[in-house]
Amino acid sequence: MIFADILIDGLVRSGVYAMLALGFALVFGVGRVLNLAHTAFFMVASYGIFYFVGIGTGMPLAIVLSSIGVVAVGLLLYKLFLESVREMEATVLIASLASAVLLQELMLLFFGRQYGRVPEVFSGFTRILGVRVGNQELATLALAVLCLVGMWVLLSRTRLGLAIRTSAQDPEVANLMGINVSRVVQVVVALGILLAALAGAAVAPLITVEPHLWMDRLVIVLAAVVLGGLGSLKGSILGAVILAFAEAFVVFLLPGGSYLRTAVAMAIMLGVFLARPEGLFGAGIEEES
Amino acid sequence: MFRLRILGRYLHSEILVLPARVLALVFIAALLVLPLFSGDSYLLMVLILTAIFTMYAVSWDLLAGYAGQISLGHALFFGVGAYTAALLNTKLGLSPAFGIPLGAVTAMTSGLLVGVPCLRLRRHYLALATLAFPLMLTGIVFAFPEFTGGELGIYAITRLAATRVVEYYIAIGTMLLVVALLWKLTTSRVGLIFHAIREDEVVVRALGIDTIRYKLLAFMVSGLVAGLSGALYAHFLRTAGPSNLDLFMSFHPVIWTIFGGAATIYGPVTGVFLLFPALEYLRAVPEYRMLIFALLILLVLRLLPGGLAPWIRDRLEKQCPNCRMNNAFVRSTCRACRSQLTP
Amino acid sequence: MKAIVRLVAVFLLVLGVIGCAQESIRVGIVGPMGYMPGEQHWQGALMAAEEINEAGGITIGDRAYRLELVRVDSNELHSVSDAVIAVERAITGQRVDFLVGGYRSEAVFPMTEVAVDHGKIFLIAGAAADTLLKGRVDEDYDRYKYLFRVTPIRSTDLARLSILLLIDVVETFRDQLGIDRPRVAVVAERAEWAEELVRRVETLISAPLPHGLGGEHVGTWRPSALASDVRGELTAIERAGAHIIYTAFSGPVGVPFGREWGRLEIPAATVGINVQAQSGKWLEDTHGHGAYTATAGIYARDVAVTPATVSFVEEFVEQFDELPLYTAATYDAVHILAAAIAEADSLLADDIVSALEDTDYPGTMARFVFDDLHDLMWGPGYATGLGVQWVDDRAQAFWPRGWHPDPVNFPDLTVTYPGTIPYQIPPWVVDHWGSVEQ
Repeated sequence: MIFADILIDGLVRSGVYAMLALGFALVFGVGRVLNLAHTAFFMVASYGIFYFVGIGTGMPLAIVLSSIGVVAVGLLLYKLFLESVREMEATVLIASLASAVLLQELMLLFFGRQYGRVPEVFSGFTRILGVRVGNQELATLALAVLCLVGMWVLLSRTRLGLAIRTSAQDPEVANLMGINVSRVVQVVVALGILLAALAGAAVAPLITVEPHLWMDRLVIVLAAVVLGGLGSLKGSILGAVILAFAEAFVVFLLPGGSYLRTAVAMAIMLGVFLARPEGLFGAGIEEES
Repeated sequence: MFRLRILGRYLHSEILVLPARVLALVFIAALLVLPLFSGDSYLLMVLILTAIFTMYAVSWDLLAGYAGQISLGHALFFGVGAYTAALLNTKLGLSPAFGIPLGAVTAMTSGLLVGVPCLRLRRHYLALATLAFPLMLTGIVFAFPEFTGGELGIYAITRLAATRVVEYYIAIGTMLLVVALLWKLTTSRVGLIFHAIREDEVVVRALGIDTIRYKLLAFMVSGLVAGLSGALYAHFLRTAGPSNLDLFMSFHPVIWTIFGGAATIYGPVTGVFLLFPALEYLRAVPEYRMLIFALLILLVLRLLPGGLAPWIRDRLEKQCPNCRMNNAFVRSTCRACRSQLTP
Repeated sequence: MKAIVRLVAVFLLVLGVIGCAQESIRVGIVGPMGYMPGEQHWQGALMAAEEINEAGGITIGDRAYRLELVRVDSNELHSVSDAVIAVERAITGQRVDFLVGGYRSEAVFPMTEVAVDHGKIFLIAGAAADTLLKGRVDEDYDRYKYLFRVTPIRSTDLARLSILLLIDVVETFRDQLGIDRPRVAVVAERAEWAEELVRRVETLISAPLPHGLGGEHVGTWRPSALASDVRGELTAIERAGAHIIYTAFSGPVGVPFGREWGRLEIPAATVGINVQAQSGKWLEDTHGHGAYTATAGIYARDVAVTPATVSFVEEFVEQFDELPLYTAATYDAVHILAAAIAEADSLLADDIVSALEDTDYPGTMARFVFDDLHDLMWGPGYATGLGVQWVDDRAQAFWPRGWHPDPVNFPDLTVTYPGTIPYQIPPWVVDHWGSVEQ
């Protein structure tokens, strides 16, 4: 019985983590940009949903509009502040962090201290193996699976996907082959932000929309991505799933210690590092440099 | 008299010739005499915290800027220093004079403990792995609230000194000493090796240098200095709590250092002394405070990706193409080899 | 000539400004102004200051002083050092004479240290930790005598109150559903303030009647105060077969807990402390799923804690479109301060401290009397707090209602505040346990 609980809880958690981690890994894998503002886009997207639903557009249109808006804002920030310092890792960290703070403060300015609330599209809950799971969560999970499959098709079955994969493997050779690498990177950045925006849109009805919600998600996403191996897409998804299940295990097996969720997730990440310094699916260090 | 003359000559030939050095000298002198002109305890408090955070930023610069070991979990060292000093003071009644150095040493040990497992990690992996350490320590803090005070932290710590002015001189004095020592370290052979490890560790190892020892050294010295600043911080504010281990506590030294200019030591000093008081000025517009702060950082990074201090230095001084000696921007010939300087 | 006239004019202006400045008493309102609690610190204080000034200010000797409020944004939720600097700046830069406010205990400790360094009176209004006063005022009176607490009631009293509420709910389950030995789950955020409380509640639950609750303790869960996802905990609580969930939340975790609890219709009633549920926006925060949540609280509509409560709450809602939180009791704090200054007939901190110690003030959240620790007296006739439940789209008080504070010595003493209504078990909980075999 307890394993059914863990299974369901872990799965529900996995969906959003995986979407966020995949987008982050994509941007890093191809663009080599460690974008600490990634989850800030997630936050802005949920504000977008809050705004558009508030003025009465209905959920589907709100998702489309806020995704477009977030991708536009994200690309603008990327072009303005990140692209020129891409090569300097510490500078990228700070520039992306400052971008995140900028977005946070802008949201605070526009929406004030009033927290956002988005009504559910799918109300009620379903019992699965005796566990109550909200229908909204099931929809979110379905959207996550859809996005992941869509991304997989895009990467493995299209010419764009081929260009992306080539650029990720060896930007210089890709350049020689006539691929406009910096254009590809821009497309990938847009795709990554789109994933973050969709994740934000999907969970908006499940959370309290507030400007600081990007921070604790950022930690989990970073841990998941590193755990799976930086730059590895399947690794990042696996990392997200592992951490989601780790959290579920802690909650159910150690009820008095569920506040240790994050600490345990971090310990798992470090444990993997000690055994495999390049993460589960990461390229070896030699290959990386 | 003779000594004075030597000092005078040294001043003339080594410091007054270079604008950046004059600037540094004026800055130090101004800091030292400031309390004679203003006893405003608000101003002094801001400067004390600025000095404490300067040490913190410089410690990050040593580890990340010089040795290339980018740490996103620097709050660990800061927090270990703060909590150790606080616990020694409240549980054992140790005075700050002993507690603060012990806090720093404990943080140095934690630097070693973090450094060893992280030796195998490179670049981004290291940055993200170090992120985990303060979060894990936060978990421990909450796991033993009877001992650590949980979310309340540890309070009723002995004040750093009886008056604000004495506290000021302790903080500023320690800061100047630490910065001078780190400057000495980074311009020595060790600093050179740190540089080299950052640029290409394999080559350094091929030269027969034990890079592991040097990397651990960087971790330990950095931990020591960050711990020192944390311990001073705890005794100055008379509290040590989980906010010392916050995500942003880890990000702050990175912001200050990159803003001021990494791998320079004077860069982070510039960064903190500009950004920390700037936040105070921005209190005038509380709603826009963080917004302006973020924009300021983004604009400086956009225009001067190498940081502010190196850019200023390049405006003030130019390097002789011949002998690599630095010269004041007003000179047309090199002060050492007399060769023509390009304008 | 023109220049001289201008100079004289400026001189007179300066004199005038100085003259006016002497006529006012400056009070710094300290709080996280970017957030609801800080905003209400300000709003409550503002209402009080306006009333006092309209009534002619504070008279000392034969001079009337205006109250002038200074907004001190502590940013304490994000930076403790920011908070400390803000207080120092308020005292030395903005020349405030008194401080009122504070929210996050970790920041209130160092902020009050700075205040007492300068010998400034600081009325704590928003932080509940006992040790903000205990161990300070009693052990080093000369240094810490400047500190008083006006709101909320201290942690240990809050704990007592929440246990009384739990007893109320347990009895309702016995009476209405015939559950003699209710199973109780404990969910408390991991925080120092909750440690002692959790231990006490755990033993009380399973202790036999009449000294205990005569129930069964089915488990304790300790999420982080900042957790945003507690579905796992709720699933586990349901599996444990709990009838009642005792909560102890002060942090943001209270919102997702209340929301998921109602949305997933977890068949157990919640009662205890949930600071988030004291907010007037609770139902919106929880997307409407937070109905039937019960918590210890300070204000509720239409409940006359004192004769002044109802009109204050109405006026506050009228002005700011919000139900007052406990931080809005800065309203009482500013009134108490003004009364003490007038009583002392002096602006010397030591005189005002003595006057504050003798305070017996009928405020809006309680009758205020300070004990030896300068903390709020708790008990019938003093500050008690309320039991608040969200029913019919509003926060209604269900406690104290027929409360016997001391059945042994005063068996006839019962306390009921006008306007309270009985506690209501959530309908889905009634459906579940009404039909399920015991």
